[in-house]
Amino acid sequence: MAAATRTAPRAREIFTTLEYGPAPESHACALAWLDTQDRHLGHYVNGKWLKPERRNSVPCQDPITGENLASCLQAQAEDVAAAVEAARTALENWSTLPGARRAQHLTRLAKMIQKHQRLLWTLESLVTGRAVREVRDRDVPLAQQLLQYHAVQAHTQEEALAGWEPMGVIGLIVPPTFSFLEMMWRICPALAVGCTVVVLVPPASPAPLLLAQLAGELGSFPGILNMISGPTSLGPVLASQPGVQKVAFCGAVEEGRTLRRTLAGQGLELSLALGAESLLLLTEAADVDSAVEGVVDATWSDRSQGGLRLLIQESVWDETMTRLQARMGRLRVGRGLDGAVDMGARGAAARDLAQRYVHEAQSQGAQVFQAGDVPSDSPFYPPTLISDLPPASPCAQTEVPWPLVVASPFRTAKEALAVANGTPRGGSASVWSERLGQALELGYRLRMGIVWINAHGLRDPAVPTGGCKESGSSWHGGPDGLYEYLRPSGTPARQPSLSENLNYDTFGLAVPSTLPAGPETGPSSAPPYGLFVGGRFQAPGARSSRPIQDSHGNLHGYVAEGGAKDIRGAVEAAHQAAPGWVGQSPGARAALLGALAAALERRESALAARLERHGVELSVRRLRAWGARAQAQGHTLQVAELRGPVLRLREPLGVLAIVCPDEWPLLAFVSLLAPALAHGNTVVLVPSGTCPIPALEVCQDVATLLPAGLVNVVTGDRDHLTRCLALHQDVQALWYFGSVQGSQFVEWASAGNLKPVWVNRGLPRAWDQDAEGAGPELGLRAAQTKALWLPMGD
Amino acid sequence: MAAHNLGTELDLSWISKVQVNHPAVLRRAQQVQARRTVKKEWQAAWLLKAVTFIDLTTLSGDDTSSNVQRLCYKAKYPIREDLLKALNMHDKDITTAAVCVYPARVCDAVRALKAAGCNIPVASVATGFPAGQTHLKTRLEEIRLAVEDGATEIDVVINRSLVLTGQWEGSDFIKTSTGKETVNATFPVAIVMLRAIRDFFWKTGNKIGFKPAGGIRSAKDALAWLSLIKEELGDEWLKPELFRIGASTLLSDIERQIYHHVTGRYAAYHDLPMS
Repeated sequence: MAAATRTAPRAREIFTTLEYGPAPESHACALAWLDTQDRHLGHYVNGKWLKPERRNSVPCQDPITGENLASCLQAQAEDVAAAVEAARTALENWSTLPGARRAQHLTRLAKMIQKHQRLLWTLESLVTGRAVREVRDRDVPLAQQLLQYHAVQAHTQEEALAGWEPMGVIGLIVPPTFSFLEMMWRICPALAVGCTVVVLVPPASPAPLLLAQLAGELGSFPGILNMISGPTSLGPVLASQPGVQKVAFCGAVEEGRTLRRTLAGQGLELSLALGAESLLLLTEAADVDSAVEGVVDATWSDRSQGGLRLLIQESVWDETMTRLQARMGRLRVGRGLDGAVDMGARGAAARDLAQRYVHEAQSQGAQVFQAGDVPSDSPFYPPTLISDLPPASPCAQTEVPWPLVVASPFRTAKEALAVANGTPRGGSASVWSERLGQALELGYRLRMGIVWINAHGLRDPAVPTGGCKESGSSWHGGPDGLYEYLRPSGTPARQPSLSENLNYDTFGLAVPSTLPAGPETGPSSAPPYGLFVGGRFQAPGARSSRPIQDSHGNLHGYVAEGGAKDIRGAVEAAHQAAPGWVGQSPGARAALLGALAAALERRESALAARLERHGVELSVRRLRAWGARAQAQGHTLQVAELRGPVLRLREPLGVLAIVCPDEWPLLAFVSLLAPALAHGNTVVLVPSGTCPIPALEVCQDVATLLPAGLVNVVTGDRDHLTRCLALHQDVQALWYFGSVQGSQFVEWASAGNLKPVWVNRGLPRAWDQDAEGAGPELGLRAAQTKALWLPMGD
Repeated sequence: MAAHNLGTELDLSWISKVQVNHPAVLRRAQQVQARRTVKKEWQAAWLLKAVTFIDLTTLSGDDTSSNVQRLCYKAKYPIREDLLKALNMHDKDITTAAVCVYPARVCDAVRALKAAGCNIPVASVATGFPAGQTHLKTRLEEIRLAVEDGATEIDVVINRSLVLTGQWEGSDFIKTSTGKETVNATFPVAIVMLRAIRDFFWKTGNKIGFKPAGGIRSAKDALAWLSLIKEELGDEWLKPELFRIGASTLLSDIERQIYHHVTGRYAAYHDLPMS
């Protein structure tokens, strides 16, 4: 047949220029879906759309054209309450189902997503402005894999997670810059283990609502996933609803800090995933071209939400910059729904943030390089490379926003580690080096939640993803993601214990003065007087003492009155001891704990006379048990489509502060000390307030058996010492067993360096029972996870 | 053909410094295909451009003058005239870049092309193709005879035993493979070669050409190769002097796609002339 008349007028020019043209992805189905809601989106609660009257609404706009796509309701407190109520009702049934039934339901949801994936990816790309390729080829398949992986976990739950139960209703707060995938990472494990979820999604983000609708249309279990559309400021309202056991927040660091303070004392768990900056460490032994692609993956491919800090070894600085700049020239920026762009637009807020950072960096002397095929109209921001930013400038300290890369040189691997670890952030990093030894050394020693060797930004449902330091210590994916939504069976549910009138400024500030209180009745074989710091007994800085009474109310003796300066000294000593202790093998640590156990056994007769029954014997057993458990640490994960292993490492938290309970003065002290040491932490302990002597007696053996500084014991006013420890920025984690007020203060104060805290909220704990005194919960809390990706190939 | 590579002092430190991370290159190879796409007029124009890069090849043991003649005619008229007219490209003199035959068929090809009245170069594989495991003397003689017969481009099979023992050879153009191996032109391998070409250019200013061969059969593959060159080396390499695609069946699939673009219909087997 003859050629018909569909001509292509431009083919001639394109033949010469060989330029890329528009490759638009039709978003007709997204618009049609919005039409089914009359372009008016509400909340999705209990399997139904909820569109209450008299609510403010915000427009949902195409970030590129500014076109109004729909209006979205802004929730009020009563909408949140309705959603939590639905989740509570659904919980009764959902949490008691056999895991296999939950698995089935999650698998059905995965299939549902598969059936409507085009709608999902076009809607997400249309509204967020992100490159459709990334949503279509990565986010949507990963969302399905997440459901499938967690379905398998639900299936084996009764067996694999015996002794744990679902927490209950989970509140999830997602800020505007995060994609629906971030939500899926948290929803899937929560649902799998039997929790139900209320998500507070930012207004004008329809993709999560669509997901909730897909889940709702499965028919059964409508209330397990509920979406409320509203501003992040409703977070505290969500958290304060009765029944909500945990709030998971992801977003900006400062917002997380504020939320941590607001929710102090509310009796619920809070997990934070903060910040979005990543780090790339490029050594002279790297495949530089591949590392440059790593930079593109990290920042300029619409994969992550944040910017990148790029550390380049000085000897390959020029070469890397040349290649990087050449590569930037080939990047394409444009409408997210174009199938051939690398980067879309992220809306005015993200652009302004980038703009401000660049201006500030320039004013502080930095060089700025921008390139790429970028449309000149306003919503887009070009790929940007910043160099020569003075390390001490304010800009160099702040988080790098999307789509910026801040490059700085380093001389040696040692210096690179110092620079990389010298920030409050501890999210993700990649190391580029073809030298195996060097790559592993850097990979292990970077203080980050995830490290990729010669790759950047790989994700898999089986690999835990999270962070440390101010990036928040919450995890999703892998086994760690499941534990986020579980608690040991029999843990009492949340009890509001908030003291409205607790004054954070004065709590534990002053130490009551103590005066001589009569003759001492204690035995003459009392431990040496003083604080046990740096491996020896020292006089307290305040040079004063506090009396200790025996069970009859008689003066037993005096212990040193520790204060802020003693805490400072103890934390310093613990830091000095840390590298040596971390470097010990688990076997060596177990041997030392065993030696301590043996020493304790020798003291048994002396101690048992004035202590709880079985306390000494159990303490000895705890030391030996944790020594043995520490042998079985991290493990290797197998990941689909990756040749090579991913190591799930269990690393020490660092300097761990422990405020022991008043009860069980020896057993509780040892039960907390043993897992902490076994996992490689160094510790500063505050022993029982009423009966600190047994702990000090143990210190006599510690002094002869363990390295100096590993264990430090400070006696004194508990509130005062708690205050000093909770506000100490260089204490990496804090366990507190004491009063309701003390717990609340600890939670509030931990916002300073966002240290993970574990508080008992004034509730007693059965230290003599294995479940509470030596359960797996202690082991989980005593170490942090790190995922180390090791792709292989010749 | 571009200006000859005059070569440089052999500096093996260049080679010893090269770092290639295999999994990272594999990821890049996947991405580069997924991140670029051309549609509509762009696709048609790119496909026509791809035609001009093709070394239209027949390398069969049973090649005779008749099928070589048919190949040469197809090289001269790769796309149906009416399709080109519909695209307003009929006056652009679109031919394939060359025809590529065995040395013994060079004469046939030169004669056929002369008869068709065109100056498409004849390329010949030579030097004991495809293994290259013959004596240097006969290999050189083979080249001399092919040139004598009118071949203007020679695809030399390098002596791989020398390469594997670290004794390198220079070249104006590098080819992924003979097309006769079990694995031929793959993206990961190409990425490494293209990066080497770019590095050599940055160091010496010499532009070396690149020819993937073997296994490139669909129009979609051809587009991916074009965008790979564009991304890794840039537009300046997208000309027949620096980029060729060694292929035999690719052309018919391209013609099929052009047919679809122009008419909006899928072509029947008999709608397009065979090559």
